[in-house]
Amino acid sequence: MKLAKYIKPYLIFTILTPLSMVGEVMVDLWQPKLMSQIVDDGVLGNNMDLIISTGIKMMLLVILGGTCGVLATTFGSNASQGFARDLRCDVYKKVMSLSFEQTDKFTTGSLVTRLTTNITALQQLVEFGLKGFVRDILLFVGGIVMMLSLNIRFGVILVIALPIEILLVVLIMKKVNPLYTIVAQRLDKVNSVTQENVSGSRVVKAYVKEDFEANRFNNANVDLMESNLRVQTLLAIIQPLLMIVMNVSVIAVIWIGGLQVEAKEMQVGQVMAAITYLTQVLNGIMMISMMFQTVSRASASAKRIIEVMDTEPVVNDGKSDFNCTEKGTVSLRNVSFTYKGSGGRPVLNEISLDIKSGENIAILGATGSGKSSLINLIPRFYDPNSGEVYVDGVNVKEYKLEDLRSRIGIVLQKSELFSGSAADNIRWGKKDASDEEVVSASEIAQADEFVSSMPDGYNSIIAEKGASLSGGQKQRLSVARAVIKNPEIIIFDDSTSALDLGTEARLRQGLRENLKGATVITIAQRIASVKDCDRIAVLDHGRLVDCDTHENLLKNSEVYRDIYSSQMKASGGDE
Amino acid sequence: MPPMPPMGPQKGQGGPGSRAANRVNGEKAKDAKQTLKKLIAYIGRNKYLFFSLLGVMLIITLLNLAVPSIQQVAIDYITIDDEKLSVDFDNLIKTLVVLGVVYILLSVFTYLQGIFSARLSQYTVKTMRHDMFEKLVRLPIKYFDTHNHGDLMSRMSNDVENISTTISQSIGSLISGVLTVVGSFLIMLFYSPLLTLISLSTIFLTIFVSGLMTKFMRKYFVKQQVILGEIDGQVEETVTGYRTVAAYSKEKDSIEKFNQMSDELRHCGIMAQICGGAMGPLMNCISNFGFVLIAAFGGWMTIKGSITIGTIQAFILYSKQFSRPINEIANQYANIQTAIAGAERIFEVMDSEPEKDNGTADFHLENVKGDISFRNVDFGYIDGELVLKGLNLDVKNGQKIAIVGATGSGKTTIVNLLTRFYDINGGEITVDGVNLYDIPKDELRKSIAIVLQDTVLFLGTVEDNIKYGREDAELDEVKRAAAHANADEFIERLPQGYSTILTEGGSNLSQGQRQLLSIARAVLADPKILILDEATSSVDTRTEMHIQSAMVSLMKNRTSLIIAHRLSTIRDADKIVVIDNGVVAEQGSHEELIAKKGCYYNLYQTQFAGHKT
Repeated sequence: MKLAKYIKPYLIFTILTPLSMVGEVMVDLWQPKLMSQIVDDGVLGNNMDLIISTGIKMMLLVILGGTCGVLATTFGSNASQGFARDLRCDVYKKVMSLSFEQTDKFTTGSLVTRLTTNITALQQLVEFGLKGFVRDILLFVGGIVMMLSLNIRFGVILVIALPIEILLVVLIMKKVNPLYTIVAQRLDKVNSVTQENVSGSRVVKAYVKEDFEANRFNNANVDLMESNLRVQTLLAIIQPLLMIVMNVSVIAVIWIGGLQVEAKEMQVGQVMAAITYLTQVLNGIMMISMMFQTVSRASASAKRIIEVMDTEPVVNDGKSDFNCTEKGTVSLRNVSFTYKGSGGRPVLNEISLDIKSGENIAILGATGSGKSSLINLIPRFYDPNSGEVYVDGVNVKEYKLEDLRSRIGIVLQKSELFSGSAADNIRWGKKDASDEEVVSASEIAQADEFVSSMPDGYNSIIAEKGASLSGGQKQRLSVARAVIKNPEIIIFDDSTSALDLGTEARLRQGLRENLKGATVITIAQRIASVKDCDRIAVLDHGRLVDCDTHENLLKNSEVYRDIYSSQMKASGGDE
Repeated sequence: MPPMPPMGPQKGQGGPGSRAANRVNGEKAKDAKQTLKKLIAYIGRNKYLFFSLLGVMLIITLLNLAVPSIQQVAIDYITIDDEKLSVDFDNLIKTLVVLGVVYILLSVFTYLQGIFSARLSQYTVKTMRHDMFEKLVRLPIKYFDTHNHGDLMSRMSNDVENISTTISQSIGSLISGVLTVVGSFLIMLFYSPLLTLISLSTIFLTIFVSGLMTKFMRKYFVKQQVILGEIDGQVEETVTGYRTVAAYSKEKDSIEKFNQMSDELRHCGIMAQICGGAMGPLMNCISNFGFVLIAAFGGWMTIKGSITIGTIQAFILYSKQFSRPINEIANQYANIQTAIAGAERIFEVMDSEPEKDNGTADFHLENVKGDISFRNVDFGYIDGELVLKGLNLDVKNGQKIAIVGATGSGKTTIVNLLTRFYDINGGEITVDGVNLYDIPKDELRKSIAIVLQDTVLFLGTVEDNIKYGREDAELDEVKRAAAHANADEFIERLPQGYSTILTEGGSNLSQGQRQLLSIARAVLADPKILILDEATSSVDTRTEMHIQSAMVSLMKNRTSLIIAHRLSTIRDADKIVVIDNGVVAEQGSHEELIAKKGCYYNLYQTQFAGHKT
């Protein structure tokens, strides 16, 4: 398996674990024999010295076995935890190298599960595998050997009982395993109904849908219970069935033992030992069956992890052997772009656009016209299907991603904040920024006022991705984060939509004064926000229809005039 | 600052980040006794099942206790010594038959036990989930605004799951454990009081050692859970905010941070595992020590002729049965603790105050006119911090009112109060002259349709989502509503049109498209009062204009409240209300307010500065 290489650094532990396990199991197997010796020779033979000497031998052996056991655990956990750590780090690293197209495909929730639950499942598999599996197999095989060494006739019992047990376990497991998938699906359903209700409580209440939702939940809940019961009812039958087989075998051992004792070929203590071994062997099967269950569940986890590991990042660092001839320019040449799985409808269609250094350009267009998609191509969040994107005169594919992105500051439509203080979040833009820089960036972004009024000012902790902040506050923090970076190119993706007009105007004023020389690309809905820009690019259904100054567009562009009149005239009702 | 409505759906089932808190708190419950009582009451709802389980367990325990005795008799029959020269096959067969019957009974009852305990746990947990959800949908909005959503989810999933496992596993072990201990102790006493005394000494040793180990272990387990939680949080945060991580080239930093946590987890994990793993061998040592002691003393006693071999055999089996459940009970202790802590978290939700609804006024959807009036309304989200201070506002039925004001001035608060998402601190709100608090809440809300800035879409098709406003609507009506909201065009272009299934809260739609869907939903609901709270902020102005032209006909004979930043959206309202510092600063028509050259004029100037229309 592909994941095997992760166990390699811990090969020593991996080998030592079963070895120590062998020690422990040997002692476990030896024990009943010594016990039978104590009973047969010591107690029956009226030999007190033997009891005591064998007893001491047994105690020493048990301590040795215990030590082996602790060692096995130590080695095993070193191996499994190390394995899990390396795997986790690698998967995380992989995720961090994927492009958005790829993370979009996986969805956030599933990536989180893969990195946590699935890896933990594999870690447990390694641990159980090294300890439990080896132990169970050793006990199983050892038990058979020991039992046969007591008397070969017991073999008959094993030959009959073993296949029956194995058959039973396999049959039931075969029925149960597919049910687990159903249980998982139904649990998902219960969780998603809850999730929707927790995050959509306002809408549920506004439409008076409490009963409707409770009913929806109840259906999911009952479904879940039923499938859970099906699984558990099936599983409940395993133990009693195995018990019957095991216990019939015990009776057979006593019977055969009786015959052997009568024939003077065996002693009572040996019969007792045989019962112990038999129990061990048959229990072993149950344990092994549980192991297989663990393996089958873990293999589902492994599949999900390998899926991530096998995803080749489509956006990779370029060779980076070039000299930039320009600073702050962006060029798009015949760029077309289609989102995967959107049915092949291009979002951007043959777009060519040159943005000059220090230019202040706006992109305007209807909902879904491709504005955000267009700017996503500049920092290579996505690669175009055809055409090229140049930054500072160099194809973006030539850059190291870090180098490319360090030139660009981008404020997204949805502000994403991270746990840490307000200052920490602003410092994302510049790791070593001084306190003064942080404050001045946040002044420009109109964030200083509300940050300062928080209980701990700039040291206030932003919890739950900024859940305690309003949309406008989050946007302003994001702007501050981009401003402090002082990039050549700064992109605002409709990132001031939650601000009221006054605040937005002040923010724009601050940006104009402080980002001198930087190329500014703004996506906006309101013409008022962008009419002072050097040029305005107008997108319509994925095509660049016009790009000019406000005045010229008013004169020449029909689409623009349309948008303009929709905003400047009294709205629709008068028409 | 008003607490913001929840921002978008929380990604990841159960909010992994907050599971950490659950795990950590999962250690110890605050009022274990009270919680246990309630939990038992829940289990008690399936009284018959519980007592059946108890009965079955009792029988199993008795049978289990009988087995070694019968085995001992059988062994005695096959023992040959100086007095008994041959195996007594007649009696052996009889004994083996008895043994066989006992074994079969044991299997049957074990099966019953499995079924009963599965049912008991599933029924109990189903009821708990059901009750919790019933409560959840009836909690006031304030609860959702002030509680971590991930944590709520975690209560619903992880905590409930813990209880389910504990009921199905621990209760059985606990009952059989106690019964077995008592039973085997009595039988051991019956066989030989002296040997019983000896095995008791090892039992005390077992309890002492396991207690010591558990204490030691717990430290590492707790730490392990804390780090696990942190890792969950880190992953969720960086994956959800991956765009920003990439934009700021923070991949390396976050990988480094992740590696550190991962390493720390490894250290703790190893320590916890070693401690846990040492438990088994240690117990094994102690129990073997007990065996040697019993064998030595037993041997000595047989030599003296006071007991038989069979007795020793039986005694050893019983002493094993005696110590096994003690180990198990010690193991279950941790499980039970976690379950109780989980139950406490669940009951905390269940015991929260639900929305109040004392309305008894004769107020019916069909007769609502839509006159709204606020009289001296005081309101604050936090005690002592008023957001609205003596606000007065009158809206006549059929009027179209626009509410404007700076961020945080209290615009959304007005909506929150009118829909009774929050309750006022002072003053009075009336609808059609009836005090808001006399109106049955459901009737009130049914007469209002509200479109929020943060769109909420549910798992299901586009059609289902639009129909959320009126379940019995025909597809034709749905289509008409979509057309009104200008949403039909993009819906038609979706792969399956109206039957397209929306994923993860509509993540396959753009923000603007989601808003259009929400508007279509409100259109279909056809209410008397319509509230648009920044409903078109992510829709471009041209689309918005189209929506508005549709809305104009919709708003006829309806009272509409519109909150918006864009002045273009609100200009033709019948009345514009400017909220400033929790009071109405100005109100009037666009022209009146412009002429007044006050707050509104200033706002207007900032947006249209330089524009001569």
